[in-house]
Amino acid sequence: MEDAQLAAMLVRRCVAGDAAAWEELVQRYNRRIYNICYRFAGSADDAQDLTQEVFIKMYRTLKSYDLERGAFMTWVTTITRNLLVDHFRKTKQDRMTDSLDTAPSEQEDAMPLSDRIPDHGPSPDAHSQSREVGETVQRALQKLSPDLREAVILRDLNDLDYREIATVLKVPEGTVKSRINRGRAELARLLQRTYKQVM
Amino acid sequence: MAAEHHNGMQCNEFDALLSDALDQVLSGPKAQAFQAHAKTCAVCGPLLAEAEAGKRWLEQLVEVEPPVHLVHNILAATTGIDTARLHAPATAQTQASWFDRLRNWASLVVSPVFAVVKQPRFAMSFGMAFFSLSISLSLTGVKLSDVRHADLRPSAIRRSYYETTGKVVKYYENIRFVYEIESRVREFKRATTPAEPAPEKKDNHQRNDNTSGQPDDKQQRNYSRGDSQVILAALPDNPPVVRFASETQATLRRML
Ligand SMILES: [Zn+2]
Repeated sequence: MEDAQLAAMLVRRCVAGDAAAWEELVQRYNRRIYNICYRFAGSADDAQDLTQEVFIKMYRTLKSYDLERGAFMTWVTTITRNLLVDHFRKTKQDRMTDSLDTAPSEQEDAMPLSDRIPDHGPSPDAHSQSREVGETVQRALQKLSPDLREAVILRDLNDLDYREIATVLKVPEGTVKSRINRGRAELARLLQRTYKQVM
Repeated sequence: MAAEHHNGMQCNEFDALLSDALDQVLSGPKAQAFQAHAKTCAVCGPLLAEAEAGKRWLEQLVEVEPPVHLVHNILAATTGIDTARLHAPATAQTQASWFDRLRNWASLVVSPVFAVVKQPRFAMSFGMAFFSLSISLSLTGVKLSDVRHADLRPSAIRRSYYETTGKVVKYYENIRFVYEIESRVREFKRATTPAEPAPEKKDNHQRNDNTSGQPDDKQQRNYSRGDSQVILAALPDNPPVVRFASETQATLRRML
């Protein structure tokens, strides 16, 4: 609540032409938006470009944001998600033209996730191990369908509630919950298979 | 998901409660029915296990650090665009205001003068003043072209002042000389003419009667300046005629 009130105040100041308020909004939200983009796109470069696009769009449409209607974070996430969908469609088209005669499932079988996991020796420390785990989970996440991927990212990484996610994705809350369930389960199956092969 | 019924709960109902169960917000009879369905359903049981595992995997993902230049780039891309858009007319305005200020200043100084000069009567006066000045100057021998090329150093101005003053004094002296001569001539005339006021009148009458009055008039004029002058004037042309003429004149005087 306090966060939402602060955001509303900052938005009002931005609309009034306060550059410092805009900078504060960027400072407060860039990390969250960058993480959504990074987890969805799986690339630091893409995430940076996408985050920048999100803020440019925010800046241009800040006046149209209705403070009474919805939480600022929901609005920002909706902008982000819409840009991610555009990005996915664009890159999907690129991928399809890159490998027209290779079915995604065949490619997945031919090149399992474990092939890209670095050689397992004894890990030097817990930090690098958790980093390796993080990279593995990130790669598995990339294999989820975008519908499931965005649902689990918004819920498990961004802590949005089901109602907020339903607003962002413009689907019923039941559909959101179902996607989250399937997304989590699919991710676990992918990772279980990977780690079974590795171990 | 199949609409199977296990322990009073359908699979889609189980699916709807799954996320709440993992969030540990499910309690009471619903939680019991949920657990019972999971244990007996071949589809929902593994789903619960996988979803729970997947959730734990995702918890492993820590927040990543955005690139250090991200905020700067965002601000440059947003306020940069804005400042380029908003400040461009502002800059043009400041530049324009410089011109405006200069123009306003110039018009403040110059326009009242021009406003006065532009009025027809003032323009006329201006023109007349210039005209009379140029005439005065040309009469005193000062050419406008000379003025235009005149050296404006103080010494040069002083020199041209004295030159001009000298010319004006000379002009005045010349005029005084002319008037002096004229007045002397008038005095001389007055001194010579009172002796014979009447004969001059009669002479005029005679001349009016005389058909060949032109030479007589000439002689009469000569008389007014003294007889010797007349003789001297007549001598070179025809001395006998002159003599005759003077004789005739003397005769005429004697007759009168
Ligand atoms: Zn079931």
